Amino acid sequence: MILPKFTGSREEQARCLAKAMVGMYYEEMEEARESGYVGGRTAGLEALERFRVQGYAGTRNNLKGNVSRLSFYIRHGVLGIREVAESVQKRLGKSYDAIKFWQELGWRQFWRHLYGLWGDGIYEDREAPKVPLGNGAEEELPAEIVEGRTGLVCMDETVRELVETGYIHNHARMWFASFVVHFRKLGWKAGERFFYRHLLDGDPASNALSWQWVASTFSHRAYLFNRENIQENGGKEWCERCTAKCPFDATYPELERRLFSK
Amino acid sequence: MKTGVWLHGDSLSKRDPALRNYPEARSVFVFDRPFLEKAGLSFKRIFFLYECAVEAAEEMRVGETVEEVVDWMKEQGVEKLAVTESPSPRWREMVERLRQKVEVKVVPAEGMVTVPEGYPVKRFTPFWKDLGREWS
Repeated sequence: MILPKFTGSREEQARCLAKAMVGMYYEEMEEARESGYVGGRTAGLEALERFRVQGYAGTRNNLKGNVSRLSFYIRHGVLGIREVAESVQKRLGKSYDAIKFWQELGWRQFWRHLYGLWGDGIYEDREAPKVPLGNGAEEELPAEIVEGRTGLVCMDETVRELVETGYIHNHARMWFASFVVHFRKLGWKAGERFFYRHLLDGDPASNALSWQWVASTFSHRAYLFNRENIQENGGKEWCERCTAKCPFDATYPELERRLFSK
Repeated sequence: MKTGVWLHGDSLSKRDPALRNYPEARSVFVFDRPFLEKAGLSFKRIFFLYECAVEAAEEMRVGETVEEVVDWMKEQGVEKLAVTESPSPRWREMVERLRQKVEVKVVPAEGMVTVPEGYPVKRFTPFWKDLGREWS
């Protein structure tokens, strides 16, 4: 069946598409909205031109840092991975910032290589976990988590941004994944599905294997974070608004004792 | 022999390697109904793909991908299909099914580095040390 190219504003086109493809997406038709991030190569090239790599290495872990936000264009081949790397080289030359950025692009190529080797095996534990995990039986994450109602402002705001925009910063992905897998002892597969549903850059290999990296089924150790890390890289405003008893307010040895003692 | 290009979700722009190999070719993108009905993706993802496909492909279709591509080829009078390679098992299965019906030329995807055939599984750090020298 031919799908027409709709005319009008993005909002109008989204309404037409939602009607044409009813039953093929997660939301109810009335709730279907476009993201603020615009698809297509024209928008991708504009975003690439805007990206300046200076400061990338020093600030990329911060939610307000100088990250490229090109991942959704690269994931769908709207921008070529080599094209992006060469654009940075051509415009801005080789620098410590550029090398760090290229290394992050390299991760994508790494995940792609493993996907070619393992296929759907990316959805199975690649190694025995290095720490005690939950039984992983959940099909979906609990409603309070996916609806942003845990009371933990940092996690609820992360979910809100993900669902509203289809994008969150990589560090926020790591915090959320660690919260799900280690603090809540839920299975990484349910978390993986939640991210895959919403991320505009949702890529089977990058997503599933990054969850496994956090869980320690494809890494040497489990990834943990604490309140200090959130405050340093996420800003203090989340914590200032939060009235919950913070499960992350501890040193790493304390957290390891609390979460990983059998 | 007239060639058409099938664009998919891993290579959805005018810069698609298959399209660059066949610049005169007509192109199609298919929203795979069986996959989407099962996957439960957010509408934002679907609309993002739509915006990419609007710019990249001459025609967009909805349905079972192999059937839609073959129908499209017949309608366009296209005899041979070119497509960019993907590591996805679903893509491989579709290419196998297409090959039972039409001639398919697979074009290598663009990489930042070349991973040699048979390169073993390693962690990222040794992988990048071995292969990422151009970018280090």
